[in-house]
Amino acid sequence: MPRSLLIISRQSPWSGPSAREALDVVLAGGAFDLPVGLLFLDDGVFQLAAKQDARALQQKDLSANLQALPMFGVDDLFVCGDSAAERGLDPKVLSLEEAQVLSTGEITALIDRYDQVITI
Amino acid sequence: MSTLHVLSHSPFGDDRLTSCLRVIGAEDALLLSGDAAYALQPGTAPFNTLGTRGLNLFVLAEDAQARNLQTPDWAEVIDYPAFVELSIRYDKVNSWL
Repeated sequence: MPRSLLIISRQSPWSGPSAREALDVVLAGGAFDLPVGLLFLDDGVFQLAAKQDARALQQKDLSANLQALPMFGVDDLFVCGDSAAERGLDPKVLSLEEAQVLSTGEITALIDRYDQVITI
Repeated sequence: MSTLHVLSHSPFGDDRLTSCLRVIGAEDALLLSGDAAYALQPGTAPFNTLGTRGLNLFVLAEDAQARNLQTPDWAEVIDYPAFVELSIRYDKVNSWL
């Protein structure tokens, strides 16, 4: 039985490579058929904001990669509801419809459920 | 002596913005770049604070556009040449690294 892995992505999309690296770890885990979960926490929820435009910064858009996660077998997607609310994002209109909105208490239980956790 | 304060970190991650607003003077200006532009996200605590302060407030166009942030009428959108002009117009630049 492979060990399950939870990635906690808590960096905003355009401030550096962290958001993309977290996604790479998730996709790599998915490719090896590990049970992988991805939680967007703190500024990480900005990765799910609508209508971002990476061209202004001459970068590649991350949101297309996020949409592809279920295709790579990563279905366990979670968003911290408090982080989204504090940042003025409506959890109902985030760009990743599959993501479940969790309360702080539910996040504690989520982390508890996985064998290993990586926060990026 | 006037100062241009430059913030580039998210207002939700630490207290740079709070500290800056505590020390900023009436002749000074504040420029939001990078993740600091998230302070213009409507309905948030940083947005509401900035809206009531009547600051000379600027935001870099690229950073607002990338994050889909609409600029309120109490902030001015500028490009990089205007950023250079601002840093010359003010006596000094304080970057909150």
